[in-house]
Amino acid sequence: MTEQELIKTIRELKHIQPSQDWVSLTKAQILGTSTELSASKEGKLDNIISVFRVFFLRPAYISVLSIFVVLGLWTSSQNSLPGDPLYLIKKLTEKGQAVFVSEQNLPKVQLEYANKRLAELNTIAQTNQVKKLAPALEEFQTNISKAAKELVKAKNPDVKEIVSETKKIKENKEKVESLGVVVGDTNELDSALLQLIEREIKDLEVSTLTDAQKEIFVKAVEDFKTGNYSEALEEIWLLSNNK
Amino acid sequence: MSYCLKWKFKHFMANLRKIFSQIYDRYIDKIYRFIFLKVNSQEIAQDLTSETFLKTWEKFKQSNPIENPQAFLYQTARNLVIDHYREKGKAHIVSTEFAPIIDPREDLEEKTLSRSDLDTVKLALKNLKEDYQNVIIWHYLDDLPIQEVAKMVDKSEETTRVLLSRALKALRNELNQTVKEV
Repeated sequence: MTEQELIKTIRELKHIQPSQDWVSLTKAQILGTSTELSASKEGKLDNIISVFRVFFLRPAYISVLSIFVVLGLWTSSQNSLPGDPLYLIKKLTEKGQAVFVSEQNLPKVQLEYANKRLAELNTIAQTNQVKKLAPALEEFQTNISKAAKELVKAKNPDVKEIVSETKKIKENKEKVESLGVVVGDTNELDSALLQLIEREIKDLEVSTLTDAQKEIFVKAVEDFKTGNYSEALEEIWLLSNNK
Repeated sequence: MSYCLKWKFKHFMANLRKIFSQIYDRYIDKIYRFIFLKVNSQEIAQDLTSETFLKTWEKFKQSNPIENPQAFLYQTARNLVIDHYREKGKAHIVSTEFAPIIDPREDLEEKTLSRSDLDTVKLALKNLKEDYQNVIIWHYLDDLPIQEVAKMVDKSEETTRVLLSRALKALRNELNQTVKEV
């Protein structure tokens, strides 16, 4: 046998191998019943538990957790509807925001909220959520009432914004009513607008107007007398801006 | 122990298991063959291989990382084989007939002839002195380069080459002797 043949024969001893069953069993016995696979599964479970435990064990993380919870709830609440559990948060948010608004802008903000209530009514009507209809109508009336009160209280309200919001209310109300929902009257708001228009008309009567302005003024008075308060208010706003 | 520490410890152990599991998969065949060629018994080879890996795992847990797991495994295996013969008061008695070699070849005639050659080589290899056995197994069976074999026997590369050459020569002599006896 040459050296090459000898080496070749030696290499054939590579066929000596342990049985695979024994290899697996021994591995399990040495590393414990938990092989690396189950150990990693265990590790993953522990990972998940520890993430939550960390928040309870370390006070510094409690504030972080609170912020996430509050943010999550707040985001969800913004799309909630009257009758939903999170709707209270939405209302509280609006109340909180109103605290920081100047008296001059409060009527506008309350009118914006009334428009939001109409948008909610629209969603409810479109998705046929009958149970939420009553609380939504109540919310709308409450907001209209608040807007009217703020409008009466305001000494120098932003007429342009009030014109814009009242027009939107009129349009949105018509949309909702076209879906078969009886929104009800807005007497309080009409009354407040009437008072506002009266005040403005009195001011304009003693003002010096050009011929063109006089024409607009006459039209505003006519709209006012026929109960078209939104139009009358819009004309008054035009005159106030062009004096 | 706080939960956090307990968790860190568990995580650490899981990582150790994972690393050792890879070492096990890589060396189990080689260590088994290394021991088998010295003891010529499947049962004893299995016992000593298990013990080798168990000892290495215990050491691995205490002083991770073991700098050279391969060297550590072979050294542990060598010590266990020595202890085995010492405890049993056994000489290197050949019992190849009880330790068949798994051979994947299908041709029966080729298999029979080859089995005869293989058994003869196995018998001759077993009768060599330990250093010769080791360098032949490591270089020709485990495919370790001369540099690594030199580290394992703690000799220079040149001396290792000479050792390997002498080992082959001794094996050839042993083969001739075995054939004459048969």
